[in-house]
Amino acid sequence: MSPPKLTKDQVQKLAFSAIGFVFLLYVYFTFFLGPLNRSRAAMMVTIRDLQSKLDASKDEMKKAVSLEKQAITATSHFAALKALSPEGAPIAWFPPRLKTFFAQQQIDKAVAHLENSTAFKEAELSGWTKYNWLIDLPQADFASVGTAIAELENTEPLLSITRLHIQTLASQPQFQHVELAAASIIEKR
Amino acid sequence: MALHLNLLHEEILEHRQRQRDPLKIGMMVLAGFGAFLFLYYMFNAYRTLEIKSRLRAVERNWTKIEPEVTAAHNRVAELEGVIKTTRALDNYIENRFFWAPFLQKVSHCVPPNAQLTSLEASVLDENKGVSVSLEGVAAGREPRSVAEDLRQMLIEQLGQGYSGVKVEFKTLEDLDAIVNVGGTNMPMAHYLLAVNFNPGPMAKSAASPSPDRTRKR
Repeated sequence: MSPPKLTKDQVQKLAFSAIGFVFLLYVYFTFFLGPLNRSRAAMMVTIRDLQSKLDASKDEMKKAVSLEKQAITATSHFAALKALSPEGAPIAWFPPRLKTFFAQQQIDKAVAHLENSTAFKEAELSGWTKYNWLIDLPQADFASVGTAIAELENTEPLLSITRLHIQTLASQPQFQHVELAAASIIEKR
Repeated sequence: MALHLNLLHEEILEHRQRQRDPLKIGMMVLAGFGAFLFLYYMFNAYRTLEIKSRLRAVERNWTKIEPEVTAAHNRVAELEGVIKTTRALDNYIENRFFWAPFLQKVSHCVPPNAQLTSLEASVLDENKGVSVSLEGVAAGREPRSVAEDLRQMLIEQLGQGYSGVKVEFKTLEDLDAIVNVGGTNMPMAHYLLAVNFNPGPMAKSAASPSPDRTRKR
């Protein structure tokens, strides 16, 4: 059986149909299936991101809970260290506090001068400032000074004596003139 | 053999030709393919809608949990900061040099016929060591040996608590003055001692005890 011969009109129709078919395919993939696939892929990416965030958040919350338990000692210790620094400018409260302290140690004359203050370079101590003080005890006896220094070192953990000068007084040999250079770490307020 | 006469030959031929019309067949194939594409599109649309509903569910979960996560994240950062700061402050506290034990040791070393007139001490930068200068006078038949006894005692006493102890005379000279000790006149010597040592582990961990000696220089 021989294939039917196509008329010119039929060939034209077929050609138009083929062009229409190609155009249809183009429209279908460009304007229908393509955007649909793209939006689906974008949604899949968003789901993956959110899912990873959700998974990470579970870890983060577990970490927070366990860290909270671990940090109980540190937080209470930190609060105790913070409580050592009262409100207000250190120059206002530190010298009177030292004067009272030395008075309690039987050393009546005590004067503290602020030498300078420096910020810490360490990031973890950015909220704290180092204050350098000169403490002058013009009339004290060696035993009282020793006891006072021991008490000071035990009760003021954030204070460190960096220099000590004890000189006998020629006029009163039973007393000495004591100068202390001390650095104290105080929280920025 | 029976004779068949086909009187509708032309109509049948026309009918066959219509059935085998390539245009018609093509249109049918096209319609089939179009139906397939449409079904495929519907299948994809259904999948997309399903994914969209999954996305909404995940977004709802995230919206619900996000404030808690942010709070937990901030709390973790805060706690880590507190821990680091506390550790740094603890290091500072532990690395302090305690002067009271040192003064106690010095007071133990000074013999009755020696006197300290000046003590100057400082902690070197970054706790690399402690430098002390002791000045005083010693009296005795051999005042220089009294001063030497003080030096030896300092080496012995400080060596028990600190490392790298060095005690050297910077000055040791006889004085013209005579002092009366226990009813006996004795010559005097002036000395200047330089003491250097590193605060050892014992000095770091030991709490400052109160000096129990009341001896005055």
